[in-house]
Amino acid sequence: MMKQYFDDLVNGIEAKLKEDPGSMSPRKIYALEVAKIGRRLYGGEERVAWCGVTAPFDLLAAMGITSCFVEFIGAMLASTGMVSEFLAEAEQAGFAGDTCAYHKSVLGAARKGLMPVPDFLIATSCPCTGGLAVMETLARHFQKDLFVLNIPQEETQQSVQYLADQIRDMVNFVSNHTGEALSEDRLREAIAHTNKAREIMVDVYKMAMNVPSPANGRLLGNFGIVVALLLGTKAAVDVATVYRDSFKEMLEKGISGIPDERIRLLWIQNRIQFKNPLIDILETQYNASIVSDELNDITWDPIDPDDPYIGLARRAISIPFNGQGSRRIKHLQQMAKDYKIDGAINPCHWGCRQGSGARGLISKGLGEVGVPVLNLEVDCIDSRNFAEGQLKTRLEAFTEMLDHRSSPWEA
Amino acid sequence: MTDMKKQRIGFTCAYTPIAIVDAAGFVPYRVLPVTDVPDQAGRILHDNLCPHVKRVLDRALENDLPEDLTGMIFMNSCDAMRRLADAWMTVRPEDHVMILDLPTTGGRTDIAFFAKELERLSHTLAAWSGNPIAADQIARSVEQYNQIADNIRTLNEFLAQGKLKGSGKRLQELINQATSAPFADSLTLLDAEIRNNQLNPARQNGIPVFLFGNVMPDPDFFSLIEDCGVQIVGNDFCTSTRMFENLPCTDKETLFTEISGQLLNKPPCARTFDPARPGKIADDVIQRAKSLGAQGIIGHSLKFCDPYLARLPMVRDAVQGTDIPLLLLEGDCTLRSFGQQRTRIEAFVEMLR
Repeated sequence: MMKQYFDDLVNGIEAKLKEDPGSMSPRKIYALEVAKIGRRLYGGEERVAWCGVTAPFDLLAAMGITSCFVEFIGAMLASTGMVSEFLAEAEQAGFAGDTCAYHKSVLGAARKGLMPVPDFLIATSCPCTGGLAVMETLARHFQKDLFVLNIPQEETQQSVQYLADQIRDMVNFVSNHTGEALSEDRLREAIAHTNKAREIMVDVYKMAMNVPSPANGRLLGNFGIVVALLLGTKAAVDVATVYRDSFKEMLEKGISGIPDERIRLLWIQNRIQFKNPLIDILETQYNASIVSDELNDITWDPIDPDDPYIGLARRAISIPFNGQGSRRIKHLQQMAKDYKIDGAINPCHWGCRQGSGARGLISKGLGEVGVPVLNLEVDCIDSRNFAEGQLKTRLEAFTEMLDHRSSPWEA
Repeated sequence: MTDMKKQRIGFTCAYTPIAIVDAAGFVPYRVLPVTDVPDQAGRILHDNLCPHVKRVLDRALENDLPEDLTGMIFMNSCDAMRRLADAWMTVRPEDHVMILDLPTTGGRTDIAFFAKELERLSHTLAAWSGNPIAADQIARSVEQYNQIADNIRTLNEFLAQGKLKGSGKRLQELINQATSAPFADSLTLLDAEIRNNQLNPARQNGIPVFLFGNVMPDPDFFSLIEDCGVQIVGNDFCTSTRMFENLPCTDKETLFTEISGQLLNKPPCARTFDPARPGKIADDVIQRAKSLGAQGIIGHSLKFCDPYLARLPMVRDAVQGTDIPLLLLEGDCTLRSFGQQRTRIEAFVEMLR
């Protein structure tokens, strides 16, 4: 079922681009490359590793491994409208209804045989405890070997070295399973791709900060977290390049992501992954544009190809979800300033202790720089309890309030 | 140090190396989620966070804490605990706060890293107290801590044999006191309790059952379980025996490494695991129940506790392959819903008869 889905998606986008090259948009190229990952995961021909969110996907690519964080599958199942039966399967197997539906859907899919059997699994302790638990459960379910990367909470010389040592151990673990040593040349090539993509993405995000922004509620939705899967490959560079070129052209021609952008919004943490009308309502009724997602940022320095493990470790530690809440809030405040944000939306994904547990402090922190936060009560994966009417009312009230106040960034 | 000697340093997790806190001249004080103050932590955290951290934060919000509590040590044990640490620093900005980074696995590199964290703890506590901590002091505190652990183990054996007066409730009262009093006071109390009970005859008071779970500090919980016809032959909670596991201290030069290795490889909370044996928690629960002669297993988890909730299905699946029935309960650190749970426990015990 999923293989067919990804095959159709890849073939459909490629056919469309062939038929009408003018229809090429950065989002389409991004979707195509992401769909290709899905096709490889489900193709049955490549070595596959299920991973945690902060695994070094570029390093794994250099070792010939198709790797993906499991939450990606949860998001896919939700976006295709198929997720309910897998959530029900997991709940019947005893997984509590109060836990994260990204994880429950994946566990349900695994129990129903819809997750490809991996060659091995690589868990990461960041961003969340639930993610780590699901990896342990999957390892037991598939009877496959599990490697755990403990991502330290803070960046110190000692903590970076600890993670770098673990990543080296991970390379040995992978080599032991593939029977192939890591090629230094392939690693250098992967790091070069990563650094190039990073450099271009810095430009992309900088252009998205423009007022009005070339970004909108869809163009860069989920981008920062998912593009990590492409790092280390030419696809990451290609996708980033298409975005940069497109945004550059839009800025030159004075085209914005939505017409008459009036309200600039920041989306915190996860997008709602199933089909819903909220973005449409914001854009068409209130000229409110989501100009950035929390993870659409580069928080790490270029990786030194001569000493890549240190750079890979620093990158994993640097993600905003890691460490103390104060660090995350500081990052959000900086994003609000850089993007001249009028208001932020936090979906407070039900079951996410890592994210929604910080909601009170995030509201307070953004409030300190004059940015109000709308905290929703929504499950970003499970559409069964989606209260569309209530959410619309709250979004409307929020945007009306924003419309009647001046930007916190006006001089 | 004299003026600091009686100050308390709070903690909330069974992985906290309280012997080092004691060595620094502080009294380690477990901030238990037991309080009558109103529920209000949800406005800072989220209502879907575990009741353990919410009730602890409620205590901070209402200042339902000892006056001499001047600092907190949080373990990076789970998402909820990290968020509690964030909130604590906002609610009580005057407190010293330290977060120890606790790996989820106990391999070679993890032990080395956590040993450095313990060293950092030692330096931090020394800075808080104004006095350096000598290795000898830590060794002495470890020795006392181990005596407490030995005593708790003895009393737990008395409980399993049915000879502990006051039974499970009394044991939990003693453990709660041992996690909040100076080591010397705890030892005096526990020694007396052992003397008072050691000549009691062994008795079979009910169906032998093994309990496991995360946080359940309320002594009344254990008597309510026993009132349903259960004899608790062993238990494994963060707030009970798992709090006291003996620590090694054979070489003062490497004591942080020794303590680190033991903490990371002691009988684990669900958040710590062996990647070479995924789901080992399920096998451990069965093995312990069998070794204690339990006829049934009762698991009690807090609502919204991801480490446990995610792994209970593995326990359930594994237990199905044995002849030991399992009952899983979910609670909120209080006995507010115990009426419903009593019915389920009674039915479970009836089935075991």
